[in-house]
Amino acid sequence: MAETFPTTAASSGGRPASSSARQDAAGTAQGGAPGTSTASGPLQPPFGPAESARRVRRRGLWYFAEHQLRSMRRYGSVLVVNAVGEPLVYLLAMGLGLATLISGGASAEVLGGATYLQFIAPALLASSALMTASVEFSYPVMDGFKWHRIYYAPQATPISPAQITAGHLTAVSLRFLAQSTVFYLIMTAFGATDSPWSWLQVFSATLGGLAIGSWIMAFAASIRDEKGQFALLQRFVVMPLFLFSATFYPLTQLPLSLQWIGWISPQWHAAQLGRVLSYGMDNPAWLTAVHVLYLMGLAASGALVAVAIYTRRLGWRSGRPDPDAVVTRTKGPRGSVLSRRAERASSAPAASASSAAEAAGEATTAAGEAAGPGGVAVVGTPGTAAVPPMPEITVRTGALSGMYSGNIRAVLERAFLSLKSNNWAVFVSGFAEPVLYLLSLGIGLGSLIGELPGPDGEPIPYGMYIAPALLAVSAMNGAVYDSTWNVFFKLRYAKTYQTMLATRLGPLDVALGEILMALFRGAVYAASFLIVMALMGLVTSWTALLMVPGALLVAFGFAAVGMAVTSYMKTFQHMDWIMIVMLPMFLFSATFFPLQVYPTGVQWFIQALPLWHAVEMMRHLAVGVVTWATAGHILYFVVMAAAGLVFASRRLARLFLR
Amino acid sequence: MSHTTSSAGTPVPSATETATETAAGTSGTSVIRARGLRKHYGDFHAVQGIDLDVTPGECFGLLGPNGAGKSTTMRMLAGVSQRTAGELSIMGIDPEEDGPAVRAHLGVVPQQDNLDEELTARDNLLIYGRYFGLPYSYLKPKSLELLEFAQLTDKADTKADALSGGMKRRLVIARALVNEPQLLLLDEPTTGLDPQARHILWDRLYRLKERGTTLVLTTHYMDEAEQLCDRLVVVDGGQIMAAGTPQALIREHASREVLEVRFGTDRNEAAAEVLRAETRVHRIEVLPDRVLLYGDRADELQDAVTALAEAGRVTAPVTALTRRASLEDVFLILTGRTLVD
Repeated sequence: MAETFPTTAASSGGRPASSSARQDAAGTAQGGAPGTSTASGPLQPPFGPAESARRVRRRGLWYFAEHQLRSMRRYGSVLVVNAVGEPLVYLLAMGLGLATLISGGASAEVLGGATYLQFIAPALLASSALMTASVEFSYPVMDGFKWHRIYYAPQATPISPAQITAGHLTAVSLRFLAQSTVFYLIMTAFGATDSPWSWLQVFSATLGGLAIGSWIMAFAASIRDEKGQFALLQRFVVMPLFLFSATFYPLTQLPLSLQWIGWISPQWHAAQLGRVLSYGMDNPAWLTAVHVLYLMGLAASGALVAVAIYTRRLGWRSGRPDPDAVVTRTKGPRGSVLSRRAERASSAPAASASSAAEAAGEATTAAGEAAGPGGVAVVGTPGTAAVPPMPEITVRTGALSGMYSGNIRAVLERAFLSLKSNNWAVFVSGFAEPVLYLLSLGIGLGSLIGELPGPDGEPIPYGMYIAPALLAVSAMNGAVYDSTWNVFFKLRYAKTYQTMLATRLGPLDVALGEILMALFRGAVYAASFLIVMALMGLVTSWTALLMVPGALLVAFGFAAVGMAVTSYMKTFQHMDWIMIVMLPMFLFSATFFPLQVYPTGVQWFIQALPLWHAVEMMRHLAVGVVTWATAGHILYFVVMAAAGLVFASRRLARLFLR
Repeated sequence: MSHTTSSAGTPVPSATETATETAAGTSGTSVIRARGLRKHYGDFHAVQGIDLDVTPGECFGLLGPNGAGKSTTMRMLAGVSQRTAGELSIMGIDPEEDGPAVRAHLGVVPQQDNLDEELTARDNLLIYGRYFGLPYSYLKPKSLELLEFAQLTDKADTKADALSGGMKRRLVIARALVNEPQLLLLDEPTTGLDPQARHILWDRLYRLKERGTTLVLTTHYMDEAEQLCDRLVVVDGGQIMAAGTPQALIREHASREVLEVRFGTDRNEAAAEVLRAETRVHRIEVLPDRVLLYGDRADELQDAVTALAEAGRVTAPVTALTRRASLEDVFLILTGRTLVD
């Protein structure tokens, strides 16, 4: 076929000059041109509907996969940064840093003669597919059915619902493959593989991703109204599967009462399969076969269930009307934006993957509220009874009167209402993440590592070592999430602040209200986590109680700075940088292993970062070793909070009153 | 075109028989043929036995209030919703037997835009064309042609997200034409558009009709139906209430002219009683704010009202307006004035 595409549209006739010739040529070539294209008629397809239907019947899933891949390409840079950055930092932190604690005779036996790097790398590869699956099969599916209704465009074409399902699965599988290949190359560069078959784990990881992904897809397709189910899924399914599936230590390190999670977890089967392929881990042949069959069985059955749900939802054999197919569009958030948020968040699994999930839940509600007759004002709607005369609306004067009206309460009221109309279980469950980390690593790794020197040099159990650090991380993640994603989303998408600022509220009311809300959330999580620590016998001093205000100080510092930084953000692409900073900080700030494993230069760099100060401060308070160093850490955050607040206030007017 | 008479407010099974005869008369094959089409969702009967015959090249309208079953019907016609009962053939094919084959003939403009807002206007057209298995060698020039058709040439590389409501709607319509469909289904194509955008769309749809594309559309706008539709049916409660050409429907269900009189909010009812007895009015409707008098000549009615007012039988009207009867009158007469939902 001639490749002479007209580069500009022709005259008002509406038809490129060369199209007639090309249409004739195409028609002859395909032998099925139905159209009677006249000189002035529109360009006719090269073949008729019958041929069109035939082609789609044969290759329809690829046509839909093409769409999905094209969408991924729009944020390709994020995917590439994730695909390269995630293996790098995880292998550096866990494969090298943590490994220094686990070398030695007893552990070599537990690991079956493999180095810790060899042991952990295949599992991290498998888990990256798991995390991607939890992102790609949750929000994008919701987006397809509800927010952007992407699925309803192909629904109107010859493509069948089964092909839409299969096409989506295919596109994501291709992403699994690409991402696993990058991961594999990096881990090979680290010297973590030594089997000629090690490249096959690219496929075992993809299979693992599909095994869990197809079921997440089926689940997501069955949801009609997102009220935080994805956040709960992330916290109570994906996270446990990741943490209790022999990713960081052999399953046998866990008590039998927790081992079963590994047996049913696709992550365990995929990780074990990866280990067999990567360094020839000793595994009975029958068990290897079980791994393969289990993963294939899960993937296939999940795909079949997904096809059935898609088919029903896209019009066939439907038992009840699909509200999304008929009624006016729910003014939802940009699903793909959310999926990207979750995407980035997933690279810091400590606490933020499901925070992003939660953000989406709140986002939906926020948008719903925005669509309503008007946010807070609705609260006191009078009935048909006599309306009392309206009290006079006072306006505060004095310092900062242009910025601050003295009505933070209204902002907080909205936040609590939004919390109530959200799934409150999602809010409460937010503290589950650090607890799961503590359980998994404290028990599983603790039995491998034993004791580490505490703040005063006295050895303390590994669980006691990481618990305060996890609390600090959780405070940071909560604050960063609230002050960046949440603020950015409400500002740009839900337009919550625009509504607020159309009233007498000033920008400072809004900012302080949001920060206070973030602190409330932080206090609830910190207090619950402290209770868990006490129950696990990890609290040895009354000063541990000070960890709660400590967590609030940490949260305040991060929230103030986060808000100021957010004021510079214009697109979601800019938000990437936050995650790019967060993940390494989480993994390297003496969270899971002491700073001493690093060369001196690196140590200085890490000691300049806020999270290290937070972790150290919490560790001191937890065991009751309060020294001048503790005061230094506290001072660091006092300064950070104060500077952040000044900085944020200056930026607020620009952020809100542009 | 003939039509059957019926009293307002009751389903008219015979109306569609007439439509059938007409269809059979003008052309041997119908583009759409439906008999006793039903769709139940549990206890809720969205569509309760609809007969349709749409002939090649015509513009056929489905009118009805919200919740009348229009969209459900459209989705069955588009081959994306399974019918509960009845017969249906689109281009001679039963969508239930071979959905892909049916949909390969169609262009569908859904009620809600479902563009991929992450993609550019051009990419939306390309990707949609791929869904029909069309090659890029055709789609690349075709997308330019369609962008021009939709007056979006300079927005080709703009993300759909950034387009205005009217632009999005035009893009959705252009997208539906990517496979040069013989049958175009439009579900409320102009809802939410400003008058300029509506007129542009009407012009585009009219051009398609001139090319011989069969159009089926639903709408709330009676002027739109009058402008575009050769034939239409009024649907309410999942059933056809009336069928025919716009002119015939007006003639049959309304009258030639209408006089709208306002006596004042509390006096309309009483005045209507008198007028019903004393004037030669075909039909009288009392609304909260005014009284509508349907008759052959509105000026005669107005003279009668003036005479009654002078005689003191009714209060003097605040305002009086004469106009021609429209499809809107037919619609309201047939489907009532109370809010459905």
